[in-house]
Amino acid sequence: MIANNNKELKLLGQAATEFARKELAPGREENDKFPFGPFFDSVLEKAFSLDFFHCILPETYGGIGQGISALCIVLDNICREDSSLGGIILTTCAAHEILLAAGSDELLKNLTEQSKNVADFLVAAPLFTDPSDIVPLVKAETNGDRYLLSGAQEYLVLGGIAGHALIPATIGGSNGFSFFLINLKADGIETSKPVYSLGLHACPAVDLSLRNVPARIVGKAGEGALYFDKMAARLSVVSAAMALGIMKGSFKEAIDYAQKRSQGGREIFKWSEVRMMLAGMAIDIKNAELTVSRACQAIDGNEPEWEADSIATAIKIQDMACNLTTDGIQVMGGAGYMKDFGQEKRFRDAKNIQALFGMTPRKKLKYLENII
Amino acid sequence: MVSLSRSEKKQLLAKEPLFDDFTCGLRAMGAQPKGIVKESREVMAIGRKFAEEVVRPYARELDLKMTEDHDFLPMDFVKKANEWGLYTMFIPKIFGGRGYNFSALGYFMEEIASVCLSMGNLVAVHYLGVTMLVSSWNMRLMNKILREVAEGERTGRPCLLTLAMTEPDAGTDAQNTEFMNTGSLRCHAKKVDGGYVVNGTKIFISCGHLSTWHMVHAYTDIDRAADNTVMLAVKTGTQGFSFGKTENKMGQKGSIASELIFNNCFVPDDQVCIDNRQMTGLKRSYKETNAQIFAYIWGASRAGVGYFGTAAARGAYEHALRFASEQTVDGKRLINHAWCQSMLAQMYTNVAVSRVSCLEGFHANAMHGLWKLMNLKVVYYMVKYTPAIVLDKIFIWLSEKPFLTWLFRKICFDFQADEEINRVDGWGSLIKVAGTDAALKNCQMALEIMGQAGIRHDQGAEKILRDSKLLQIYEGTNQVNRLNVFKRLISKSVSSADVFSASNI
Repeated sequence: MIANNNKELKLLGQAATEFARKELAPGREENDKFPFGPFFDSVLEKAFSLDFFHCILPETYGGIGQGISALCIVLDNICREDSSLGGIILTTCAAHEILLAAGSDELLKNLTEQSKNVADFLVAAPLFTDPSDIVPLVKAETNGDRYLLSGAQEYLVLGGIAGHALIPATIGGSNGFSFFLINLKADGIETSKPVYSLGLHACPAVDLSLRNVPARIVGKAGEGALYFDKMAARLSVVSAAMALGIMKGSFKEAIDYAQKRSQGGREIFKWSEVRMMLAGMAIDIKNAELTVSRACQAIDGNEPEWEADSIATAIKIQDMACNLTTDGIQVMGGAGYMKDFGQEKRFRDAKNIQALFGMTPRKKLKYLENII
Repeated sequence: MVSLSRSEKKQLLAKEPLFDDFTCGLRAMGAQPKGIVKESREVMAIGRKFAEEVVRPYARELDLKMTEDHDFLPMDFVKKANEWGLYTMFIPKIFGGRGYNFSALGYFMEEIASVCLSMGNLVAVHYLGVTMLVSSWNMRLMNKILREVAEGERTGRPCLLTLAMTEPDAGTDAQNTEFMNTGSLRCHAKKVDGGYVVNGTKIFISCGHLSTWHMVHAYTDIDRAADNTVMLAVKTGTQGFSFGKTENKMGQKGSIASELIFNNCFVPDDQVCIDNRQMTGLKRSYKETNAQIFAYIWGASRAGVGYFGTAAARGAYEHALRFASEQTVDGKRLINHAWCQSMLAQMYTNVAVSRVSCLEGFHANAMHGLWKLMNLKVVYYMVKYTPAIVLDKIFIWLSEKPFLTWLFRKICFDFQADEEINRVDGWGSLIKVAGTDAALKNCQMALEIMGQAGIRHDQGAEKILRDSKLLQIYEGTNQVNRLNVFKRLISKSVSSADVFSASNI
């Protein structure tokens, strides 16, 4: 991620790099054991205190209003070491973006200003499905000025650790879906154990069962898809920045190892076949970095078609990250497959990140629909 | 109409690509016993039954159990596989096994591994050890050890074999004679009266902690290891031999990877599979013979990994197909979206192409490699229709005669032509790469189709992706195997080509 001459962005990037090196890298293997090991609460608290969660939140809501570039720089640097924290930040930012898109100022203010700790501040959301593709299984019924939600919500990211959640649900027989804000401590909610998943283990998701759970509607009824699409357009490039960070981490570990490990009496770095793989990785990273930086510029500058820039960048770079992390393991052979190193986690996390905001083929088709 | 003379035809077919290099299956049609087809049907049916009754219900549970505690040893599964007779299925009847033909092994393993690669490995790795033992053509030792496997089945105490080659600083170095002398091999075998004393460590040894016999590669001179390799059979419990840690892996968790530690471990002469003394008199040099043994091992075992790749590609495809059949997307079943049908068709194609290439590789082994002798029609039918009790009597007596090992080595080492070695080893690498790359490709596609469901452990597909990645690494990385394809199948036609040398790596 290129900060150009923006000193604030550079400082933010340095802070994220330092944080990732000191706080994330040493505990990566242990933190990845969740839910079979402890959750990294203290790391989360430190990240919160450094305002990594507040990058794009406008100052009106207690944020620092730095724009998408800032968030991308933070997540690029964090995800080099461990993208689970990146996933937690992205999820909360996504919920904030949906609330902003819906114009739900009061709800957002309540969430951000009244939060006493990081758990209160976090907002859970089902980020791995586009609710327009798959009809939500939660139904909303009106109860005077409030709504009651019932049904099942699968794979609610941060559902086990956040104070609140955004839930897509359908109202009566109306078309489309709406978003609702619920308090996850309310009566009528049953939460599963963390769903064991391919990657992002420390950014856990749960399955939720709801029965007459009080909820506040977000924005207008039936306009959930509009809010989701706005959020996805702005944050797709952020998911690309996460993938970029993973790519950089994978490349660094691979090249470090290749310079230490020998086969046939020579460092494997000297094998031209290995060098060709490393060269391909380096070229992909450079391309990804340029593309993410350009897309950020387009979004922050509110340029025409910034949405297309963001989404196309994400689809392409997520795919590149899946391929690059495969090579990242391959360069290291058996060692890359073991949990003693970071490569296998990056391979898993990259594939998880590719599933953000819905199925990849559907994202491609939707992209085409939006540009023609 | 063009008419060619015999010499013209010979001359034309001797040009690259050599007719014999890519027609193993075609030539096998007439040369191989027809009984293999019936056997293949049988073992596929057994594989399906085992996969449904034993493997599928336990696959995700075992994976989770190993995630919680990677030191867990899945001995219960091994005992179950032993009860089903899976560890003797492909051991020839002359050694007390059930005697299914090795050519049918791929079909059998595909059924199990398409459901769970870990449990596939818990069965198949045993046959990797068997492959190493057979590749030494030490008939006395084969008879001794393989009959212990059969005895283990009868008594309910599983007796499995491993292949112990990889060392902490030597993966590829241990697998190719070209790298052995300049590599970082450390496992030393010192000749003493009555045997060898072994010191060193082996790592990533699949199923080590679960196995009884370990086929260990050690070196009497580690600076000239390619010319001084000793292949030893070491039994669990031998003084000076112990197990170290098990690796914490991304996938194939149930198939544990063990560390084997040798500390002044004495291995008697009668447990030497083959060494330089036993190679004396063969027509090739020690180094060439070691390379030939590697070719026997890798030609067969990499073909097996290719089948594992096919299996994983199929497993991923089946998960995606199930999901697409059940899930509604954008108002209609996912299976009815043309883009999804196209992706599923590509995945199906990947499985089919991979399977066909594996089959060709298996035919290469049957026609020119490890099980060529057993597949000669006269040998096949004689062994098949002679009662086991008669075979036992004859073969137990015969196996103790040094003449028998000499004869087998004469046939299998000296009579195997260089072209056959190239073909078997080259095809092993080719299908290993093709099959395992297809596996990764299909897993990636399955997860893309399945989206959120794809990344959930309880949906099964993500496990196949994690498991599959290892296929591109073990038995030589796909990078090394591609170079081996060049060496064995391409470079012979280019006089200036130089492979696996300091100048080209």
